[in-house]
Amino acid sequence: MEYFSHLLLNSGIFIILSVSLNLINGICGQFSLGHAGFWAVGAYTGAAYGVYLAPDFLPDFVNLFISCGIGFLTAALAGVLIGVPCLRLRGDYLAIATLGFGEIIRIIIMNMDTVGGPRGFTNIPLWSNLFWVYAWVAITILVIANILRGTHGRAIISIREDEIAADSMGIYTFKYKTMAFVLGAGFAGLAGSLFAHANQFLHPNGFTFMWSVIILLMIILGGLGSITGSIVGAVILTFLPEMLRFMGETISEWRMVIYAVLLILLMLMKPTGIFGKHEFNVLSFLAKFTGKKKEII
Amino acid sequence: METVLETKNITMKFGGLVAVDNFSMKLGKSDLVGIIGPNGAGKTTIFNMITGIYKPTEGDILLANENIVGKHVALITQKGIARTFQNIRLFKDLTVLDNIRIAGHYRTDYGLMANILRTKKFHQEEKRLKAEAIELLKIFKLDGKLNHLAKNLPYGEQRRLEIARALATKPDVLLLDEPAAGMNPNETADLTKLIRWVRDEFKIAILLIEHDMRLVMEVCERIYVVDHGELIAKGNPEEVQKNPKVIEAYLGTQDEKEGKE
Repeated sequence: MEYFSHLLLNSGIFIILSVSLNLINGICGQFSLGHAGFWAVGAYTGAAYGVYLAPDFLPDFVNLFISCGIGFLTAALAGVLIGVPCLRLRGDYLAIATLGFGEIIRIIIMNMDTVGGPRGFTNIPLWSNLFWVYAWVAITILVIANILRGTHGRAIISIREDEIAADSMGIYTFKYKTMAFVLGAGFAGLAGSLFAHANQFLHPNGFTFMWSVIILLMIILGGLGSITGSIVGAVILTFLPEMLRFMGETISEWRMVIYAVLLILLMLMKPTGIFGKHEFNVLSFLAKFTGKKKEII
Repeated sequence: METVLETKNITMKFGGLVAVDNFSMKLGKSDLVGIIGPNGAGKTTIFNMITGIYKPTEGDILLANENIVGKHVALITQKGIARTFQNIRLFKDLTVLDNIRIAGHYRTDYGLMANILRTKKFHQEEKRLKAEAIELLKIFKLDGKLNHLAKNLPYGEQRRLEIARALATKPDVLLLDEPAAGMNPNETADLTKLIRWVRDEFKIAILLIEHDMRLVMEVCERIYVVDHGELIAKGNPEEVQKNPKVIEAYLGTQDEKEGKE
């Protein structure tokens, strides 16, 4: 049971990570591969607050709240520092630059003795629980979904659709690219802080480039540009490799192969991901059965 | 007549290549002016300089007597120059309504926090934006397709939507880059009417680049002819058609041009 709830907690953290990366990659169309870096920044600063600064008299959830705030702000700051020079690049170049920055962040942490360096950061207080993780999941989704339904969100989406046209519609594209990038980085930092206080132990090698790729995989699987898709992608990719463990000895042994084959099959059959660019909407889903057409604006 | 847009001796050099040389023109309020010239004459370069995509190597561009050289593309749009593109650049995966609402973005008056918290101001502004967009789309007979994706519209309607989207930025000057490209004669005839009607209805100046001679001669009141980056003639359609330089440069290469397209 504890195993299952831990898995559920992890999937919540990955939902925040994938939804926030989706804001950068899928919705704004800026190919970033440095998400694990921002995650690490949030995790380490949040954990450092917990280990060195947190006053004992405050209840745990208040401390967690402050820690998440610190994680968000420091990662967002890192987002500004990395985004402003990098977002002038496009496509593959941006991907390589962000990848490089993600690794730089990891190497810096590796060499910081106050946060354990290569030995790992230990004795982080256990503050996260299912309730608070999913409360933050809800807040993250709500904030990003609300932005998308307003003029700022439309400006961000227009950059993905056609940057030159967006410019000539009077939109300062650089400003909105940075906005999406910084917000995405901030939420990744928040997820990092939740992660640190759930695991109680951090190691720089837990934030390698591979994790950026896995988060990217989640949003591609769910559909670039779809928030509901990112959520489903994050849940599937946290549970699938674990669930395959329990399906008999052979499957368990071959689970990473099966996992890869399943991903390849899905991408072959539905290259745009499970939801494409669309959102899953309960009302319009029901409308398919009742035959009533609903105006969605 | 009041001048809205004026270019003064603008020159654009790409390394050793002079794409546009000393080009000067004036556009009065609610003028309908065309720029023509053979392929590679520098017409689109002129557009790109006016809209701020390129910064002219020399010369000034005055919009309502204010120099806009070196200003950001978005700022130039906000100051009143809107454009369409030769190869339609709609936001393809967005709805017709969203395409228009994005053009209203810079006139929307609420901040990011108001957006996230969906305040009263947010709802007011969104309501206004939507009402304005629907009103505009009604004029262009696209209000029945508010929720259609732009990419699913037929070609002619995509052109109309692009013009509507440019107008949604509330411009004083509208630049049309080959609006008739890829249209059949019937669609071109409709477009001719549309362009004239847009000018009268919105009382704005229109500058267009076009290859379709019939459209240009029919719709434009004045024409500038460029060849090899230089202005070789200007005047009303009859004058231009009779000008020997134009016949040599442009009409003389008509076969070649048709061969290419």
